[in-house]
Amino acid sequence: MSAVIETSGLGKSYGAHLAVESLDLEVGRGDVFGLLGPNGAGKTTTIRMLTTLLAPTVGSARVCGFDIATNAREVRSRIGYVMQTVAYRGLLTGREWVEIEACLYHVPRKEVRHKAEEALGAVGLLPDADRRWTEYSGGMKKRLDLACGLLHSPEVLVLDEPTLGLDVQSRHRVWDYVREQRDRGATILLATNYLDEADRLCNNVAIIDRGVVVVEGTPADLKRAVGADLVQIKTDNAERLRTVVAGEPWIKDIVMADSGSLHLYVEDASLALPAVMRIGLEQGIELEQMTYSQPSLDDVFLLHTGRELRETENAS
Amino acid sequence: MTVDEAALGERIPAVRVVTRSEARSRWMQEVLALVRRWWIELLRERLNLVFSIAQPAIWLVFFGAGVERAIDTRVIGTDDYISFMLAGIIAFTIVGNGVSGAMPLLWDKETGYLDRLMSMPIARSSVIVSRFVFQVAQQSVQITLVVAVALVLGVRIESGPLGLVVILLAAALLTMSVTAAFSALAYAVPQHGTFFAVVGFISLPLLFMSNAFVPLDAMPFWMRVVARINPLTYAIEAMRILVIEGWSGRIVSSLGILAVAAGICLAVGTREFRRQTGDRVRG
Repeated sequence: MSAVIETSGLGKSYGAHLAVESLDLEVGRGDVFGLLGPNGAGKTTTIRMLTTLLAPTVGSARVCGFDIATNAREVRSRIGYVMQTVAYRGLLTGREWVEIEACLYHVPRKEVRHKAEEALGAVGLLPDADRRWTEYSGGMKKRLDLACGLLHSPEVLVLDEPTLGLDVQSRHRVWDYVREQRDRGATILLATNYLDEADRLCNNVAIIDRGVVVVEGTPADLKRAVGADLVQIKTDNAERLRTVVAGEPWIKDIVMADSGSLHLYVEDASLALPAVMRIGLEQGIELEQMTYSQPSLDDVFLLHTGRELRETENAS
Repeated sequence: MTVDEAALGERIPAVRVVTRSEARSRWMQEVLALVRRWWIELLRERLNLVFSIAQPAIWLVFFGAGVERAIDTRVIGTDDYISFMLAGIIAFTIVGNGVSGAMPLLWDKETGYLDRLMSMPIARSSVIVSRFVFQVAQQSVQITLVVAVALVLGVRIESGPLGLVVILLAAALLTMSVTAAFSALAYAVPQHGTFFAVVGFISLPLLFMSNAFVPLDAMPFWMRVVARINPLTYAIEAMRILVIEGWSGRIVSSLGILAVAAGICLAVGTREFRRQTGDRVRG
């Protein structure tokens, strides 16, 4: 069995309001799978269905091979779920919470202390383990939730916008955490509306909008589909370079920029760069500087929904 | 996993079979973990702890000192009003605790921690049961204290030390009814505002429509009818007999009715809990 999460026609409606229309997803073992989309796209509803908190109105889904509707308990014991909003945890200390939740995950009594230390260590909270939750900063509270998601070494980690509202340092910590869990062999479902985050962490993403998958693939493939990469070259002999490369099959378009640098629009910059260098060397054209840029997932979103992600965020 | 699913030839991974004793020990672990949580939360709120433990004893003193003289002792059937009031104060305490005991559940629901709990592989009953266990324990301390104060004030418990144990039992049964009922309310309401409105509306009538402060015989007929369907009445009756008269067969029938009431409230509580989590998948 390769798919750890598979959904077929999964949907949820509240009366006339359609939160998720019909989702077909397949997340492979060991994937870091990004669920992308603007606020209100149906990410959280999807996650609440996959974590058995919400019964779907249509379709079905399996997590680790278990049906979310008929085998909810088996699903729950295999997932670690970190909610979007930090859970309120009152007057207890970080360590107390982690130990209590370890017991709720049926960690054998003798191992509870050790397991708690391990989870707190994984998110760098050991030095603050005995402080009360109320004294924690926003980033620390989030990290405590992340630690609690690890207590039963889950096969699947479900993270709902884990870096929302965090400072840069805390975001990096969360990213490290995701990578560590991936290296441990966990499958990770990551909902986010930060495209750069998905780009950094995910090997597969599905962009959803209004409860349907708009497009799915690796970040690189999706960006490639947007169109051309851009290679900018600074050289003292731009005109000559232009004529030499003009006939190459990988060139889509050439523009001489006002600044005097040559802009090559190419299919794949990673292939174009060495080719340009080789040609320069062969023809004796000195290349002073080369830079390239790829389209971002923002461009992907724009292409497939006709809307900018930021605009949608502001609108909702 | 059902046989039907297997027959359909769907891919179903191996489920590690959990034996009954293993399931029981897991459930115990869940309940104890949650009780630990409630316990630590109470300890960290020192003022809450002090006031809630001491309150019933203080009430007894105020009532005893203030109201006793205004009471016609022929109506209450004993010339010691504090002996009469003791059971009423205990019931009063239990109602108050029922409200404050449901609040953490209401709070978990509103802050989202309930969702966190529901995403865990725990039995749905652990949350409510842990609350019962905690409440009964906390209340037993309160009741022991209020009885001690009563003894100092000269009350004699006719049924002796064993009677105190049965008083605690009656209190525990009433606690189950009241805690289950208020927990059900906490889960049923859309927001805490409704909870407090309803609680404010029913708490005092619940007490006055019982024999807490006035014996049933002294009530007008319609009020007596209402009091007779109020579980508080049976708990108070049992406790009061144990204090004033000693052992009697009526205690058994009162406790029996109380147990039925506890069962009904528990069923309603569980139903509301399921309804609250009803849009979710069963455990």
